[in-house]
Amino acid sequence: MNSQSPCPSISYNLNCRMVYESAALERLCQVVRIRGFRVARMAVESAGDQLDIQLTLEGTRPIAMLKAQLEKLHTVAEVTLSREPAGFSERATLASG
Amino acid sequence: MNGAEQILDAFHRYHIDTVFGYPGGCIMPLYDALIDDVSVEHVLCRHEQGCALAADGYARASGRLGVCIATSGPGATNLITGVANAHRDSIPMLVITGQVPAGLIGTDAFQETDVLGMTLGIVKHSYLVTSASEISGVMDEAIRLAVSGRPGPVWIDIPKDVLLQKTPARSAAESSPESSTPEDLGEAVAMLQAARRPLLYSGGGISLAHCEASFRRFAEASALPAVVTLKGIGNAGKHNPNNLGMLGMHGSRAANRAVEECDLLVVIGARLDDRATGRLESFAPNARVIHIDADTAEINKLRQAELSLRGELGRILDGLSAALSARPLMIDEWRHQCRQWHTTGGFSAADNDEPLSSITGPAFVRQLSRITSDDTVIACDVGQHQMWVAQHYEFDHPRHHLTSGGLGAMGFGLPAAIGAQFADRRSTVINVTGDGSLMMNAQELATIRRYRLPVKIIVMDNQCLGMVRQQQELFYNNRESQINLDDNPDFVAMARAFDIPGLHIERTDQIRRGIETILAFDGPMLLHVAISREENVWPIVKPGASNLEMIDESQTISRTTKEQTA
Repeated sequence: MNSQSPCPSISYNLNCRMVYESAALERLCQVVRIRGFRVARMAVESAGDQLDIQLTLEGTRPIAMLKAQLEKLHTVAEVTLSREPAGFSERATLASG
Repeated sequence: MNGAEQILDAFHRYHIDTVFGYPGGCIMPLYDALIDDVSVEHVLCRHEQGCALAADGYARASGRLGVCIATSGPGATNLITGVANAHRDSIPMLVITGQVPAGLIGTDAFQETDVLGMTLGIVKHSYLVTSASEISGVMDEAIRLAVSGRPGPVWIDIPKDVLLQKTPARSAAESSPESSTPEDLGEAVAMLQAARRPLLYSGGGISLAHCEASFRRFAEASALPAVVTLKGIGNAGKHNPNNLGMLGMHGSRAANRAVEECDLLVVIGARLDDRATGRLESFAPNARVIHIDADTAEINKLRQAELSLRGELGRILDGLSAALSARPLMIDEWRHQCRQWHTTGGFSAADNDEPLSSITGPAFVRQLSRITSDDTVIACDVGQHQMWVAQHYEFDHPRHHLTSGGLGAMGFGLPAAIGAQFADRRSTVINVTGDGSLMMNAQELATIRRYRLPVKIIVMDNQCLGMVRQQQELFYNNRESQINLDDNPDFVAMARAFDIPGLHIERTDQIRRGIETILAFDGPMLLHVAISREENVWPIVKPGASNLEMIDESQTISRTTKEQTA
């Protein structure tokens, strides 16, 4: 289960709702990175004290493992995987390596 | 009430009476408030890493929340190793640091560091408090988070001006216990009944969940052959005839063989760490898995479980015990086989009867185990001595074995022993350390002196970084690199400088007298044990290899002989 795995990288769309707090996005991105995924696209929208985050992620590890780790974060309310690509067009978009 | 006083108010509400800390500029308001508070004992360590590791040791030994305090900048950065250690081993810890005043954050102010940013990966959760009105609520939530579910460290960073802000006192919020998901005990019982070679695999989650008694009842009701991880040592008790001891890299052949042969692995409170499993692809190749854990994210993380039970471990184990008591498992042949493996492939280290011979690590630890009482707390450091203790000391309870499992942090042992001694001032606490590890936090000898703690320190001195030397010998063609410590200080003289008497031994016939002397001494004492530089921990699995590829001393000797012959 390491990043050297020969498995091909797969793309996933993941939506996350979390509490708007100091370092919220850093906390999310840190987990994504350390658990072996790369952020291909990211869109964030704030709604009151909530953040709605849409991520397109690439990685070779099981996405369920990342989902379980994100759900452990105290300020994460919900994590969902979507089959179809999320609509990014009208949202602020960040590209990240 | 100002922000600092609200912190103390939360300490009172949660019956926190011992904290480990080190003052400095931005945390001064809290230290000022501490002066007038007689209900909280503040233990001044000599380095913030010592504070965090002492809080960790306190939590491990007592089962309570460990609390450490430091200032901004270097105070916070010095805490990091200790907090990471608690995170890796799921130790409940509350960390409080001062921060530069809110208006100066982000200006590169004196002793400013981005504590929130740099600690994200080593905490269960963290806060940067921006108003004194938040402190009470944050303290409630942080304490609840640290101790609930899978425990862990929670860090609260508070700017100095917020600590000084006045705000009305606020009553405690009621916290509700974390709900557990429904579990299918019936299916687990059916899988156990159907299995011919079931094996129990337990880890540190047993004591973290405070379910030691339920685990013992389950182990007794099921009479399953049992293996433990490093952190699970003591779970099954020293008198359980089905206990095969530790598995993994330095586990016994018997334990690893049982894992290889089992057809059902019942994993409880363990995370299938690589030091335990070796190469995953060949781990328990014939087994179905039942995984029981408080942390959902551990289920299927590394090994797919056929059945997972998530929730309160004690309740699950009690349910399983009741079912198995009514209908015991018919696995006598398998039990017999495992016991036979344990007899022939357990940890064996013949006591050396030659009185003038030099001391070996295993022989020393076996004597230590025989001489000390069952309730002695052993706080290990990291290295060869740590593995000898894990292999040869017979623990009767997991809280008596304090060891840095996940992080493997040298320097853990001495401050952890200090914490354990504060957890119970009457208990016998022994720090078993190495010459490398002791020097990582030797400044804490001053803490022992200050509080006159009767901690016993046993230094197993092989004049080198033994575990690194061993791996260089075995896996790097004996090319030794930067492991030599033959210029160590005179440890007995060093202890004496801290008003701690010491004793040196080097021969087998001195072991018993040495151990009995330090145990009988009324106060702290150091025992310096000279051991061979060349001694290795056996058996060993090469990092990344399968547990089935264990190497023991005889294989190495035969390999060396072949090489010499060639």
